[in-house]
Amino acid sequence: MQENKITADSTVITIKDLYKSFGRLEVLKGVNLEIKKGEKVVVIGPSGSGKSTMLRCLNLLEEPTCGEVWFHENLLTPVDPYLHSDLIERSNTFQKMLCERLAQGEEEHEALRDQIAFEIKEKSLLKKHEGKAFKKAIKELYSTYTLNINKARAKIGMVFQHFNLFNNLTVLQNLTVAPIQLKLKTKEQANEKAFALLKRIGLEDKANAYPSTLSGGQKQRIAIIRALAMEPEVMLFDEPTSALDPEMVGEVLELMKDLADEGMTMVVVTHEMGFAKEVASRIIFMNDGLIQEENDPENFFENPKNERLKEFLSKVLK
Amino acid sequence: MWNTFIEKFIIEEGYKLTLTGLSNTALIAVFGLLIGFLLGTVIAIVKLVPVKNIFVTVLKKICDGYVAVFRGTPIVVQLLLLHFAVFPALGLLLEDVVEASIIFGLNSAAYISEIMRGGINSVDKGQMEAGRSLGFGYTRTMIKIVIPQAFKNILPTLGNEFISLIKETSVLSLIAVTDLTKSFKAIAESTYEYFIPYIMLAICYFVIVYLISLLVKFMERRFNTDARK
Ligand SMILES: Nc1ncnc2c1ncn2[C@@H]1O[C@H](COP(=O)(O)OP(=O)(O)OP(=O)(O)O)[C@@H](O)[C@H]1O
Ligand SMILES: [Mg+2]
Repeated sequence: MQENKITADSTVITIKDLYKSFGRLEVLKGVNLEIKKGEKVVVIGPSGSGKSTMLRCLNLLEEPTCGEVWFHENLLTPVDPYLHSDLIERSNTFQKMLCERLAQGEEEHEALRDQIAFEIKEKSLLKKHEGKAFKKAIKELYSTYTLNINKARAKIGMVFQHFNLFNNLTVLQNLTVAPIQLKLKTKEQANEKAFALLKRIGLEDKANAYPSTLSGGQKQRIAIIRALAMEPEVMLFDEPTSALDPEMVGEVLELMKDLADEGMTMVVVTHEMGFAKEVASRIIFMNDGLIQEENDPENFFENPKNERLKEFLSKVLK
Repeated sequence: MWNTFIEKFIIEEGYKLTLTGLSNTALIAVFGLLIGFLLGTVIAIVKLVPVKNIFVTVLKKICDGYVAVFRGTPIVVQLLLLHFAVFPALGLLLEDVVEASIIFGLNSAAYISEIMRGGINSVDKGQMEAGRSLGFGYTRTMIKIVIPQAFKNILPTLGNEFISLIKETSVLSLIAVTDLTKSFKAIAESTYEYFIPYIMLAICYFVIVYLISLLVKFMERRFNTDARK
């Protein structure tokens, strides 16, 4: 019983204090997010607010400038020392500041150490080289928690706005190439799974077709089951219906709802407010590189607090 | 005129030399292209790989230099330099045909790497991202997904590269490899009859080039129907 509760609550992906810049353009400005097992997190926000960038940081298609991404207990990014007070305390800068403060007559105790560490974080005082002890501590932390990114990605499914089916492969090959190449399944197992998935979406007859012959809705549903063929723990969707003709949006949303009902953990960037209301367990409003509001669907739509969100909702809910 | 040529070519078995020349030209062109394609692809990947460690940066610089040098000097000069200076200095004693294949491979690698780079860039970035998102590494995605599509895009250009490679092999007579040109030259010089042998030589090259361009067209069509099936 208790064990059950722990797994139900367990965190699949965590992002901590994430920053991302493209050259001078700062797109993410300190995003924190935890995605729990079974959650359906819907991300909305105006164009250019950094939704896609945030989503793509979850599986490191985009490399964050600062901050950390965790997949379960595994670190996917390099260590960000500012997120670890014990690391900061080993830096030369910290030691120097401590000495200065002690020389000024202050007493050494926890509070002083905390205060200095806080100051270093606030003002980003760490330098490129902070001494051997610091370097060693980072290395240790990193080697304890790091996980090969490809291993993590194999467990994190992603669905793109423009489908991105492999054009040089048939539908069946699209579904089986990764499980076979990564030696997760034998060819027979992979084919069997692929046909089961194709049957599920009613496209068995397209197994040997090339993607260029499919409609947008068919492509996107195949892209979804391509991710499913890897048996992922979480699925990321970046505006999966935005590139579709209106009459094909329904079939894709239907498949996504089925997945949600089966308990799949999902993070969905979308403009489909109906889907958000119906499926989301939590909705996030991103604006200007930050999560500016976060709530369950009911409160999110009924009692928005943030001014920009109110404005945004009044525009999209018309 | 004809009589001397026929006598030399058939009765004195000059055609044997011609066949050797033809097969050498073919071998050198095919292996040259193969080496050029493999090495050129590796160079293209190195130039495009988005990694910034010192090792890769140095490798990128070496590739840049390689391409600049091989594209910036005539093949004849490369041939003379490698055959008479560099290979002997390295103590490499290779069979003529092998050596010529390597030299032409090194040369065409420089051109093919640029062609390949353009081809890879012409493939939608989403293909790489989809591959990476499934847990493929960069190289695996390149080999399984991106390069096959790039190859399809550059097939016509690659065909042209093969054709110019075949034509360029005619400079091999400078280092005494019996290629097609050399074999007809031998006939011409032994009979003091130049007109017919050299016309025949021109016709030979023309036919080969024509056949190859047909082959390239055929492959192109096959690739396209494949993808549309
Ligand atoms: N690879 C890149 N290089 C440079 N700038 C980029 C890159 N990717 C995104 N940006 C910029 O970052 C900002 C945020 O982009 P992002 O795609 O995350 O927004 P979004 O919220 O997904 O918007 P949309 O709703 O239009 O998809 C935009 O200004 C965009 O131009
Ligand atoms: Mg976007």
